[in-house]
Amino acid sequence: MSSIGIIANPASGKDIRRLVSYATTIDNQEKVNIVKRIILAAQSLGVDSVWIMPDTFQMGFTAISDLSCDEKLHIDCRVMDIPLTATSEDTTRAAAEMEKMGVGCVIVLGGDGTSRAVAKGLTDTPLLPLSTGTNNVYPTMVEGTVAGMAAAGIALMPNAKECCTKDKRIEIYKNGSLLDIALIDAVITDDLWVGAKAIWDAEKLKHIFVTRCHPASIGFSSAAGCIQIVEDNDPYGLALTLGENGEEIIAPIAAGFLASLNYLKAEFLPLGTPMELVMEWDCMVALDGERELRGKKGDRLAFAITQGGPWRVQIKRTLEKAVEIGLFKRI
Amino acid sequence: MKVPKEVMKDMYLRMLRIREFESKAQTLFADGRIPGFVHLYLGEEAVATGVCACLSDEDYITSTHRGHGHIVAKGGDLKFMMAELYGKATGYCKGKGGSMHIADRDKGILGANGIVGAGHNIAVGAGLSAQYRETDQVCICFFGDASTNQGTFHESINLASVWKLPIVFVCENNNYGISMSQSRHQAIKDVADRGAAYGIPGIAVDGNDVLAVYEAASEAVARARKGQGPTLVECKTYRWRGHFEGDPGNYKPKEEQAAWLKKDPIPRFEAFLKENGILSEKELTACVDQVKNEIKEAIQFAEESPDPDVASVVQDIYSDIVEEARVR
Repeated sequence: MSSIGIIANPASGKDIRRLVSYATTIDNQEKVNIVKRIILAAQSLGVDSVWIMPDTFQMGFTAISDLSCDEKLHIDCRVMDIPLTATSEDTTRAAAEMEKMGVGCVIVLGGDGTSRAVAKGLTDTPLLPLSTGTNNVYPTMVEGTVAGMAAAGIALMPNAKECCTKDKRIEIYKNGSLLDIALIDAVITDDLWVGAKAIWDAEKLKHIFVTRCHPASIGFSSAAGCIQIVEDNDPYGLALTLGENGEEIIAPIAAGFLASLNYLKAEFLPLGTPMELVMEWDCMVALDGERELRGKKGDRLAFAITQGGPWRVQIKRTLEKAVEIGLFKRI
Repeated sequence: MKVPKEVMKDMYLRMLRIREFESKAQTLFADGRIPGFVHLYLGEEAVATGVCACLSDEDYITSTHRGHGHIVAKGGDLKFMMAELYGKATGYCKGKGGSMHIADRDKGILGANGIVGAGHNIAVGAGLSAQYRETDQVCICFFGDASTNQGTFHESINLASVWKLPIVFVCENNNYGISMSQSRHQAIKDVADRGAAYGIPGIAVDGNDVLAVYEAASEAVARARKGQGPTLVECKTYRWRGHFEGDPGNYKPKEEQAAWLKKDPIPRFEAFLKENGILSEKELTACVDQVKNEIKEAIQFAEESPDPDVASVVQDIYSDIVEEARVR
């Protein structure tokens, strides 16, 4: 029996970055359409069942109901019966439950923040992140049908990990205790509150830590990427210290917005070697683009790049492997 | 975004004022001291406060049937408000309008409104006026989730978008239209999605976090002032009470109500102010005492004010019905 899981975040793509930049808007109805395309593609390739995270917009129920009415749903497709809190905890809990149930692959619809919440719930199950959020470094823009095919391929093929990349992550420690993780970037700002969550003001940044970075990414990791490119398979990350008297660069920190930043130094962070800072002021740590953690003056904050991230599905490689093993052949 | 201590303190005071005003209105209505109808804003204080903290007296707001919070946050006079609720001659409408018709032109308050969705059109008029007169005024249009199913919402947001009017449409999504939950009255969850249909930005924020509301409203107001047109800001919040006082709200699931009561925006902001050393325990207590005193004085003013004279029934109206009756 093969199965896949789908986690679609109804809150992604609606934050304040639509006001302060020109970020993409994807409404929930379009996310429902993407979910339908994933289900149909996975069904056609032979997946036996699909599990969907419950959400406040009821995307799973809508997709199932519509496909059933159209008489196009022929496999076991269900919304999970788990509590709903309308927070990112739902995403993490759903991912953990899916892993317990033994799904072959979890598809995530959202931005970097959603993928991060899923990654916190997974240890071994491959993850296929599909972009419907704002800063989309981690998830990729790909048609739902293609994502459904790739997820099915992963669920059906032996040695699926051959088509996945074991990602890096940033582990954030406060006074010696692991507090949280980020998949792409962790940023220290002099904000004091979570507020509208997103960060967009380059002047507030003090430190940027990245697992990987490239100028082709949008968000604060691009600031590091415009200085030094770090690939997803490099055995290190990068730490950037910002300051008024440093060298000036411009980088695409938000959609349509290349901001000016001054950096004092850029240092490689080898895997497993934490960089510790003793905070000289109260601060906020933003993880994958969203303000999440408070730091107080005197706190010891440590940032370590590890190989502890999720197994991320390489879509093209998976589909090429699917061709190779004859997954598309019908006898 | 830097927010000065005075602004933080001012926001705290505004939230406390709304809470105390509404709490007292609740008990006074139950005691039969306040006649007519009241729709309380309890639980939604962070929305009106976070938005109105970005405005000056010159800016406009249009309100709703649940308007006390908006009017208090925009600086309406507490004594005149309470007197109006009491139906006294000293009230904002000389005691003839009651809770749902309070307006104050000097404060840019274009009126609470008994008709669901009627504020949208007035906001478009105010926005057009500001644009025509080339001022930098902004109009905030407050409304609930269910009113976005009214034609007025769609007509207004369309015109505001076409004419790039300086309006911020603030949806207080409190999950209910009278007794009907959002999932039963519209097939979307995020009203913010409706912005895209009219070519304007639509964003959703935590309406129980005054700082999140303030940040979003600041950006939206700045856009409006720069002539960049309207914005739709959806604030996710919850109505603690029934639709009106007397409605027991039995249609609200107990677990849902309990979960939202835990998200009370005022203790949340208090904790932030204390934790960051912005206001001390002593200063917070002084704010509470100050507000209690203000509301006490407002109630005393209302209690001691005279009832309107019977003759005033035919005053301040659009036609001289007495004269017309005489002619007939």
